[in-house]
Amino acid sequence: MLLLYCYTAESFAITDRAPVDTLIADHTFAPVNMDLRPYINTLADNNGSLTIQQVTQSSFTHEEQLFHDYPKNNGRVNNCWLRLRVKNESDKALSCLLFAGWHDYMYWYVQPPGDTCQQLIQTGLMLDNGGVERWNHYAFNVSVPAGQSRTFYLHIINKSYNESALMPALFSAPAFAQFRDKQLDVYRKEAAVIQVLLGMLLVFFSISIINYIQLPDRSYIYFAAYILGLILFFALRLESKPYQLSFFHQWPMFKYYWDIPGLLFCFYPMYLLFGNTFLNLKERYPFMEQVFTWVAAIVGGLIIVCMYCIAQEQYHLPTIIYSYVYFGTLLPLLAVFLALARRSRHHPLVRFFLYGSVCLYLACLGSFLMHVRPLGLLSALGELAAPSLLLIGGVLLQAMFFLAGLSYRNKLVHHERTRTQELLIKQLNKNKELQHKLNEQLEELVKEQTTEILRKKQELEEQRKKQLETEYDKKLTEIELKAIRAQINPHFIFNCLNSIQLFVMQRDYEYAQKYLSDFSYLIRKTLDFSRRNFISLADEITYLTTYLGLEKMRFENRMEYQIIVDPAIATAELEIPAMLLQPYVENAVKHGMTNPKQPTGVLSIHFNLVASDMLECVIADNGIGIARSKSLRMLPNHHQSSGMEISQNRAELLNKMYNTEIHIEIIDRSAEDEADSGTIVKILIPQL
Amino acid sequence: MIKAVIIDDERNSRDIIALMLEKYCPQITIADMASDCEDGINKIKKHRPELVFLDLEMPDGTGFDVLMGTLPDIPFEAVFVTAFEKKFLHVIRFSDVELILKPIDKQSLLQAVSLITERIAAGNNKERYQVLLENFNNSKHVSWKLLIPDTNGEAHTINILAIDYLEAQTENCFFRLSSGVLISAARPFRYYADLFTSLRFYQINNSQMVQLSNISHVNAATSKVVLKSGIVLDITERRQRDLITKMTHR
Repeated sequence: MLLLYCYTAESFAITDRAPVDTLIADHTFAPVNMDLRPYINTLADNNGSLTIQQVTQSSFTHEEQLFHDYPKNNGRVNNCWLRLRVKNESDKALSCLLFAGWHDYMYWYVQPPGDTCQQLIQTGLMLDNGGVERWNHYAFNVSVPAGQSRTFYLHIINKSYNESALMPALFSAPAFAQFRDKQLDVYRKEAAVIQVLLGMLLVFFSISIINYIQLPDRSYIYFAAYILGLILFFALRLESKPYQLSFFHQWPMFKYYWDIPGLLFCFYPMYLLFGNTFLNLKERYPFMEQVFTWVAAIVGGLIIVCMYCIAQEQYHLPTIIYSYVYFGTLLPLLAVFLALARRSRHHPLVRFFLYGSVCLYLACLGSFLMHVRPLGLLSALGELAAPSLLLIGGVLLQAMFFLAGLSYRNKLVHHERTRTQELLIKQLNKNKELQHKLNEQLEELVKEQTTEILRKKQELEEQRKKQLETEYDKKLTEIELKAIRAQINPHFIFNCLNSIQLFVMQRDYEYAQKYLSDFSYLIRKTLDFSRRNFISLADEITYLTTYLGLEKMRFENRMEYQIIVDPAIATAELEIPAMLLQPYVENAVKHGMTNPKQPTGVLSIHFNLVASDMLECVIADNGIGIARSKSLRMLPNHHQSSGMEISQNRAELLNKMYNTEIHIEIIDRSAEDEADSGTIVKILIPQL
Repeated sequence: MIKAVIIDDERNSRDIIALMLEKYCPQITIADMASDCEDGINKIKKHRPELVFLDLEMPDGTGFDVLMGTLPDIPFEAVFVTAFEKKFLHVIRFSDVELILKPIDKQSLLQAVSLITERIAAGNNKERYQVLLENFNNSKHVSWKLLIPDTNGEAHTINILAIDYLEAQTENCFFRLSSGVLISAARPFRYYADLFTSLRFYQINNSQMVQLSNISHVNAATSKVVLKSGIVLDITERRQRDLITKMTHR
């Protein structure tokens, strides 16, 4: 840095000449690029508040430091007034042209002696938007009539940090035309280079946009943004090339806004984000990805700060920020490049990225060094990206490397895709084969199973027929079996035995004997009847009498019963279904015993002939009634109700088998008379 | 002396219990008799007996109603007396409460009374009736509790679901629980095997019965039943087929 400074210090040596207040023009006066520095007095207007009247009355000094023939970094707003006094001693009117360089704001005044000041023209890069024409406005007319003198004032304001060469020179009209032509040639060459660069960058831009449309990969977008930033940047640089057609002269401020911020935008956020997605750092090198993202974000913030400074007309601040960022990131970038280079063996894309970056950075540095000598350290900073041939080469090389990298990446993606497609096709073929095989197997299976199903269906049909045949028989026997079980209530049997045991223990042998014989009779009859469908009414009456007798004995005469038979009935001849009545009688006994209002259960059975061929049997008790009994769900009514249900089923079966109409009706006595209670079961048995 | 109350709706039944007790069990005095549930509860409250002979089915309720009306305020031992009862057999057997069938056999009466005498002397009867009423009120057969009297005269209450398998051991039965606990029951294997047939148990050979829900899988190749707890038991070939169909059709 120190060396650099020493190297640049020389260029600031200024040769002192004796100042002259007034330029005397005689009749031979024909200036060709005449250095006006000795004749010009200056006045600095640091506040920018002086009016032309104040200026004419202020005292001017002679200060040559103001002038420079290269662009110079002022680091502040340069607002100055130049005064030139010309005395025409010849007999011809003097008409020359004064050229002091290209500046932002320029105002040209003339003051005849003793008269007021008059503005002849106002122009400047920020003021004049007259297209290509405007380049002719920067030479100011110095016309002095013969024998007179004039005082000219040139007010120059440069807000930008970098001031173009400020070197007042006087030309005669033909000499200026020559000078202008020479300048035009120089700038045309420079502009041509930029235009070529712009053309190439536009091609790159188009390629990356087209690629992005074809393959939406985000690195293309970053690359395109990077290229677009550069295009704008160089197009705006073209703006300051005099005598050239430029695009943005309608908005002169734009070049400030996209000078330093544009550099930052291209070479930091977009460059880093491009690197991130291009190298797929998120997966390959997550730490680097984090670093890149953060630096990009910070520089993004700095861009906004720079924009704000520009809006506040603090044009030099962005340069300072840029120089800090540039020098601050040089070594870290080197470290990053080294870190990436170490990984390049595993990642061919890194090579493209690195070569591109290194090309640009070397070009940048080279360009900087080239400018350090003529411009000085600070001014050269602004030229880091000045469109010198070296830099342009660097930018193009970088763009080409990046583009080549993107293409290589595409190639990799394509390879990958082709490989997966091949795999997929292989798998699909395999699947097809498998499907085919499976289909064949399935067809076979379906065939087999169809025949099997048909066979089974036939078998089932046969079975169903057989089943239907046996079902009726089965149902019949089943219900009869159930009937037997229902009618020999085990509870009754064991309780009877229990009672007999008691009589034996009490040595009441006579009673025990009677009980035992009655019990034996009942069991025998039950076994006998259960095998028959019909028995005579006489048998039924004896059976019921014996049954009721046993129950009465069990319940110690807490029960009364009577069986009343219509004397018109021939009991020995009349037949009724076996065991049909028993469950109802048993139920009546239970009911009769469970009425707390009646101390004694009263049970009656009536046999009547209601028609010549219709026997009616009425079983009545004075129990709690079927309705309450059901609602109470008292134990052991489970048994009874199932017994009654079986009787009902049997009756239906008998009706079907013998085509008769046995009718069973159960009436709750309380339904007819509130005071009354108990159940009446009416059974109508038609005679065959 | 043990104070007893007899509750039965049939006079003959009450008389014969009283007669037999008088004759064969002089250590028992009959304090009172009742003919239905309500009367029975009142008489128990009045006399606070140590033993109650209880009919299962009466006109105004069941023996369980009597227990619910008096326990646990009055701690007494109960002996159920019934002529024929399939319906309540399981619930009574599970809690190991005594049951005598009519007509009353002298041997079973004496056995029941001697057991009860021991229990009264030991003085712990609450658990048994708690299990009884709990099971009675639980309609889910499989989650019932089982009270097992072991060979040391102690009672173990376990959840049916906790049983891995049971095994015959001469006169006793041996329970293996999923927790690894072993209980040697004072009753024979056949007693429990009959009791468990209606539950989700399966007898895999002559001396072992497993709980289906605790079977991990059946190894058909080696004729072994593997339990979830890792125990491996033998199964006969004929039963194996039956068990597999049973397990797949659950």
